[in-house]
Amino acid sequence: MEEAQRRTEAASERYEGSLRVVNARGKIADKSWRFDRLGSHGASRAVLRFTSPAEVRGVALLIVNHPDRASDQWMWTPAIARERRIALQDRSARFFGTDFSFEDLEERDVGQYDYTLLGEEALGSVACWRIEARPKGTRASQYTRSRVWVRKDNYAYAQIENDIKTQLVRRLKYDEIENVQGIWTARVLEMTDLRENSRTTLRLEKLQYNVPMRSEDFTLQALRREQ
Amino acid sequence: MRLARSAFLVGLAILLGTLPAVEASAQVFSQRGFVEGRMLVYPQTAPNDDRQVGADVLLRWEASVGPASWLALAGAFDARADTLGQVDESWRVDWDDRTRLRPALSIRRASAALHRGGLMLEVGKQFVRWGKTDILNPTDRFAPRDFMDVVVNDFLGVIAARLTYEREGRSIDLVWVPRFTPSRLPLPDRRWSVWPQATDLVAVVDGGVTFPGGSQSGARWSQVASGFEYSLSFYDGYNHLPLFDASFQPAPPSIEVRTVFPRMRMYGGDAAWPLKWLTVKGEIGYFTSTDPRADQYGEYVIQVERQRGEWLFIGGYAGEFVTRRGGEVSFAPDRGLTKSVLGRASYTIDPNRSVSFDGAVRQNGHGLWLEGEYSQAMGQHFRATVAGNLIRGEDDDFFGHFRRNSHISLTLRCSF
Repeated sequence: MEEAQRRTEAASERYEGSLRVVNARGKIADKSWRFDRLGSHGASRAVLRFTSPAEVRGVALLIVNHPDRASDQWMWTPAIARERRIALQDRSARFFGTDFSFEDLEERDVGQYDYTLLGEEALGSVACWRIEARPKGTRASQYTRSRVWVRKDNYAYAQIENDIKTQLVRRLKYDEIENVQGIWTARVLEMTDLRENSRTTLRLEKLQYNVPMRSEDFTLQALRREQ
Repeated sequence: MRLARSAFLVGLAILLGTLPAVEASAQVFSQRGFVEGRMLVYPQTAPNDDRQVGADVLLRWEASVGPASWLALAGAFDARADTLGQVDESWRVDWDDRTRLRPALSIRRASAALHRGGLMLEVGKQFVRWGKTDILNPTDRFAPRDFMDVVVNDFLGVIAARLTYEREGRSIDLVWVPRFTPSRLPLPDRRWSVWPQATDLVAVVDGGVTFPGGSQSGARWSQVASGFEYSLSFYDGYNHLPLFDASFQPAPPSIEVRTVFPRMRMYGGDAAWPLKWLTVKGEIGYFTSTDPRADQYGEYVIQVERQRGEWLFIGGYAGEFVTRRGGEVSFAPDRGLTKSVLGRASYTIDPNRSVSFDGAVRQNGHGLWLEGEYSQAMGQHFRATVAGNLIRGEDDDFFGHFRRNSHISLTLRCSF
């Protein structure tokens, strides 16, 4: 897992995400956001700002990741010109009607989990290691445990399944893996909420690593400024 | 005239909606907005107003541009029309939100923000929001509102210079407002009026509004830690909510009522403490005044918040204590919410639909306000919202003044 993390380290990341949410009844909702991240893994800050639909344009989430504990998150709502801290117990809530929870938007540092190798398994035609991850005591998480499929050929994640107690609740699939500036990256992520029977597909466009960014653009003040 | 203006607003919205976001090498222009039509139905007439149905339309357009990495310009524009006579019919573009009627055309925001490192200076008409609690914010002193419909209100911008310095979770916020912006009050001849009513013996005469000439200033220190955040705030200026200074005029016998905005100083604080199962938030403000007509008092709010799946629950109590009575009648919706149990619950049914409930119930049982709302998005641009407001109370209660103003509203918004 450390090697998988090492291979994805970058000074920064930027992409434009287009999302499609398909609920249990087949209804479709499209959204998009712009994502900027400064730093890597447990020592990073990220801002995610909706660009569509029009009614949520400008709504932003600031995520401050920590190496040794859960992230701090604040959501900025331009209509009321205020930020709201997302408390730990709120992290299991769906993020703006998508199948990603607030916690799923955090960056997970490998040091916050204990790992057990469960075996080897092919996902489709791709050979993977199947690894169980359990959050350490210092890391509050909605998930009791996760199973991570790591590709043997490039150490990229192929799939994550998340359990609450013994129930499988969310599955995240990584598709269309490409080498972007030396980092194997999934261009399409599909999150399925198995309790709601709905899924969200996130497509990463205009993806760039190591873009020059300033730390001052990842603060509460910046959320207000960049509205 | 009003129909023509409504049609004009819709046409303008379509035009604005076609403006693309422009991204150049060092300059990003973005815009958003909506046009919103609302129909109101009041089942009961009010003693001073027998209109039971009304409609209004609002076009709001917001734009921002960053000409340089250290500079951000932001602007917002409102255009309105209505059938209730609460919107000015002139085409004058309003800037300072001091008119009794809602302006038909107004600059909602026009500010420039200069920033370098953790330092930011924002100058111009802007929104300054303080406080952490949700339904009532005693420390939110730079946030006048349009209270024309009292329970359905919107913030007004203030003309200010705001200097903020933020570093490693600590921030200091200094605000100076050279020109006072009052909250907009209900009209005297409309159902939300808070004016003293005329009697058979004596008439009530509007003595006009006196706006204070001095500036306002404030400072707020905030600290954000991993498991706790708090702020301390100080404000010196004027209350954006008025007193009604009444004087007897002998010939002809009448009571002249002048609207005045008393001096106010506030010492306040707010805090949020996320715990394992819920988040505790609190906010307090103590208000003094050199104006003997104004009360000296404190307001506080303590609330808990809990997200459970798609439900969000907020519940709390707002209290008040008075240390000196001033004696004049005031219009104070913030104080009107105190001595009450406050609550909010919202549920996201699916990505397009939600319901929410807000309410305040007086601790002595003499008044209540409840609002229920169902909202549904339709496609990428449209949203319909149906809301019902139930207001009940005794004669001497703030909610009781508006007990004939329970209403239902249907709102259709097109965002672009």
